[in-house]
Amino acid sequence: MKQALVDDTEDVSLDFGNEEELAFRKAKIRHPLATFFHLFFRVSAIVTYVCCDWFSRSFVGCFVTVLLLLSFDFWSVKNVTGRLLVGLRWWNHIDEDGKGRWIFEARKASPQRSVATEAEARIFWLGLVICPLIWTVFFFSTLFSLKLEWLALVIAGISLQAANLYGYILCKMGGERDIGKITASFLSQMVFQTASPRDFQKPGLKGLEIHKH
Amino acid sequence: MAKAAESSGEPGTTWPRPLFAGLSDISISQDILVEEGEFTIPMRSHIREFDRSTLNESVQNTIMRDLKAVGKKFMHVLYPRKSNSLLRDWDLWGPLILCVTLALMLQRSSVDSEKDGGPQFAEVFVIVWFGAVTTTLNSKLLERNLSFFQSLCVLGYRILPLTVSMLVCQLVLLAEQGPINLMVWLFVVIVMFAWSIAASTAFLADCQPPNRKALAIYPVFLFYFVINWMILTFTP
Repeated sequence: MKQALVDDTEDVSLDFGNEEELAFRKAKIRHPLATFFHLFFRVSAIVTYVCCDWFSRSFVGCFVTVLLLLSFDFWSVKNVTGRLLVGLRWWNHIDEDGKGRWIFEARKASPQRSVATEAEARIFWLGLVICPLIWTVFFFSTLFSLKLEWLALVIAGISLQAANLYGYILCKMGGERDIGKITASFLSQMVFQTASPRDFQKPGLKGLEIHKH
Repeated sequence: MAKAAESSGEPGTTWPRPLFAGLSDISISQDILVEEGEFTIPMRSHIREFDRSTLNESVQNTIMRDLKAVGKKFMHVLYPRKSNSLLRDWDLWGPLILCVTLALMLQRSSVDSEKDGGPQFAEVFVIVWFGAVTTTLNSKLLERNLSFFQSLCVLGYRILPLTVSMLVCQLVLLAEQGPINLMVWLFVVIVMFAWSIAASTAFLADCQPPNRKALAIYPVFLFYFVINWMILTFTP
């Protein structure tokens, strides 16, 4: 029988602590800077790619700028915003014998403090999902318009963003293996209601030795 | 970003026992989700102390830590030392920087400012990355236990000597074109080429059984040779 956890997104004042803590818990967006940067690099990469012809005729300048923005975006989403906004983290660890393993973890929710606010979680996941889709659209448009020199950049963009998306989905999945079910419940939560506490649990990661190198 | 994962699982198990970032120190019962039944509670206390340090660290610390790691790896290329822990903590920033620098230097400027060396830039970029990935895959096929990204990291960082020789090439071109300059430049190119190969094989060949070392080294040799060829035949 699964135990019922307290709904962590209810703003229940269980502690009689200081006002700062209270304000923090009640805030819609707890990490404004992280939220900003989560979207900033992704969106500016896309905008730069689309509008580079207007700013300068230099292919190389545009290429390098977009590439740098994509790299910064990858790093910041993987190392900073995931940790701060939704309490998820993933990385690769190499054992002494040279074998690599991917590790995914999620922060547990507590009755006193939720892992993520609804607004932050929504912004995080929407940003994470929509941008790779846009880059996929760019891929097809580049392919069919035969501007093949941009293809390398678009492929780099897709791989970096898809890697982050995949990593975080695996963090979120935890023990669930049915990715279809997870996606469906996820989308409905994002759109209609707050995330349920169950999603923030971290059951056994059985079968997640997927990227064993 | 590599952290020590307390895992005592055998290779055959499907359950890697990740770190539980249970910052909320309450409810130990949260772990007991016995749906699958094969659940085992990992060694929490030991992991948690270690884990907390990076989960809660400030962004500035994260940035500094990663920058230092990249710097250390560059130093390691210049002064190689047997340091397994350094190589295990891989990252791909170095290869990215080196690849972009090399591609920028290898562009040909043409008279027509519209095509400002774009194709050459993309070409170099694709050759370097595609070549690195293919070479790494080859090493991995020969030796399964090798970590893909770690080898990619090693190969990528060893492009540094080639980038240096490209820099020297640019300097030589700026200076007068005399036979002495040319000799110096050829010498530098050959030395750097040998350095890259030696540095990579020190890592990659270690992992191979003796009769397969040549199989592993040859693609690496080819990879650096192609890049070197682009440098040698560079004319602005």
